[in-house]
Amino acid sequence: MERSVARKRPSLLTQLVDLTLIQLSNWRWSWRRMITTGMVAPVISLVALGLFARSSGPEALAYVFSGNIVLGLMFENLGKVSSNFSFMKAMGTLHYFATLPVHRYVLVLATVISFFIMSLPSTLLTIWIGHIILDVPLALHPLLLAVIPLVAIPLAALGALIGASARTPEEAGTITTLLIFTLTGLGPVVIPPSLLPEVMVWIGRFSPVTYAASALRQTLLGPVTEQLGWDMLVLGGVAVLSGWLVSRRMEWRQV
Amino acid sequence: MIIYDIENLTKIYAGQTEAANRDITLQIEQGEIFGLLGDNGAGKSTLVKQMVNLVTPTAGEIRLMERPFRTLRDPYFIPMHVGYMPQDGLAFNSLTVAEAFYFTAHLRGLTRHDALAERDRLLALWQLEPLRERVPGKLSGGQRRLLQIAAAMAGSPPILILDEPTNHLDPQRRQQVWQILRQMNREQGTTIIFITHDALEAEKIIQRVGIMRAGSLVALGKPSELKRQVDNQLRLELFFSPAAPPALPSHLTPLELDAGRWLVYLGKEDVAAALHLLELSQVDDFRLHSATLEDLYLHFANGQEV
Repeated sequence: MERSVARKRPSLLTQLVDLTLIQLSNWRWSWRRMITTGMVAPVISLVALGLFARSSGPEALAYVFSGNIVLGLMFENLGKVSSNFSFMKAMGTLHYFATLPVHRYVLVLATVISFFIMSLPSTLLTIWIGHIILDVPLALHPLLLAVIPLVAIPLAALGALIGASARTPEEAGTITTLLIFTLTGLGPVVIPPSLLPEVMVWIGRFSPVTYAASALRQTLLGPVTEQLGWDMLVLGGVAVLSGWLVSRRMEWRQV
Repeated sequence: MIIYDIENLTKIYAGQTEAANRDITLQIEQGEIFGLLGDNGAGKSTLVKQMVNLVTPTAGEIRLMERPFRTLRDPYFIPMHVGYMPQDGLAFNSLTVAEAFYFTAHLRGLTRHDALAERDRLLALWQLEPLRERVPGKLSGGQRRLLQIAAAMAGSPPILILDEPTNHLDPQRRQQVWQILRQMNREQGTTIIFITHDALEAEKIIQRVGIMRAGSLVALGKPSELKRQVDNQLRLELFFSPAAPPALPSHLTPLELDAGRWLVYLGKEDVAAALHLLELSQVDDFRLHSATLEDLYLHFANGQEV
């Protein structure tokens, strides 16, 4: 057993890569939910709302299409990251990480990145299925490559905040489910503003999901306007703020 | 060299009025095997969590290699020196056994090549090769415990802190754990600190022991020193057929532990006479021993007479 092994502190990049790979191992439990909540649920909602939206014109169809993609991204990122953080807290995984030479900010970032990567297959499939079912013409803009992560990452960071703050995984699950449906329902996400009461449109201005749906709509279906810049700015701000808050709130050590 | 210097350490958790542990002062030397005994709720786990900086003390100070935790600015200092095994068995989330070893070793600073070699070494050392692709949820309680101990060792940190390493293990695996820990200590000079309820078996490797009761450290020292504090009596255990108890010298009074099992306390001067008078054909077996670590534990942790 006599052995001498050279060790040096892991760089931030090593930490990020390893922690992302560790968190990607969550596919072992999450793939079933990815199919149900990440794809089947948004597609069913898309079909059901699409039936009504057809009679309301192309604008309504565009909102149903983009809104349901956001719904899938919320389940996959906000929901699953919240679940993961509350589980890590309950099972002692956060303590395991806290006793390794890793930085907690890097853990948050790695978790967000890995769940985003895991949400990509269901998001792309939902876009394709929605395009076929609703017969909406796609006008993909190159900025879509930046918009999809910008939509997913603040949602994941919000999920991390909920998961790290909740007392139990059950509490985290209840809060995220409530939040997903509230954020989807409030504001012009699935339903166009012209069909919503003014107060809901106004409330929607304070929801990051409104900006997420708007950014996706513009880069998937066109036209891209200057609103996209604002959408991306808000989404980026929410990502940074949530990431900072979660790394502050995360129970890394018990005080 | 003193590795851990703990001074008047106290922890009162938020929302609690009772201290989880109070006024603990303790030093641990480099290369020492230190056992922490005590009942459930005695404050042992809180103490080891404080030693790996998972729990912030309410009062007092801990120094690791002379560096006080309270003013420690380097977040990597403790994790680079201490391997910790918590009680929770599902901490590795969705990682397989082999992945848990690799990533732990790699994050502890081994190169990719060395971390892969470390993974294979640990799989072989702990005979976990057949389980390498299993996730913790698919392991038995004992297998999970071995995974945790082995992962704590990954990268060979110079200090190991283990919270009940032999829980859920069968006797053969318990032997394996003690043997490997002793070997690590002997060959690599690893400082080993562990909590256990398995006092009888831990006695084989413990060099110094701390016994906790209701949050306080009530005894500290080498087992042999503590035994002298408890008593100087020897214990003669007799096993026999309940229908035919053996004859004893008249001045010895046996305590009946079970049907067919007596315990007799003897002064050192009584041993020769007692054994001389004992009719060996009347007993199935007998054992003569001094106070065990379990006796110390019962004495100090529960205040029982032994």
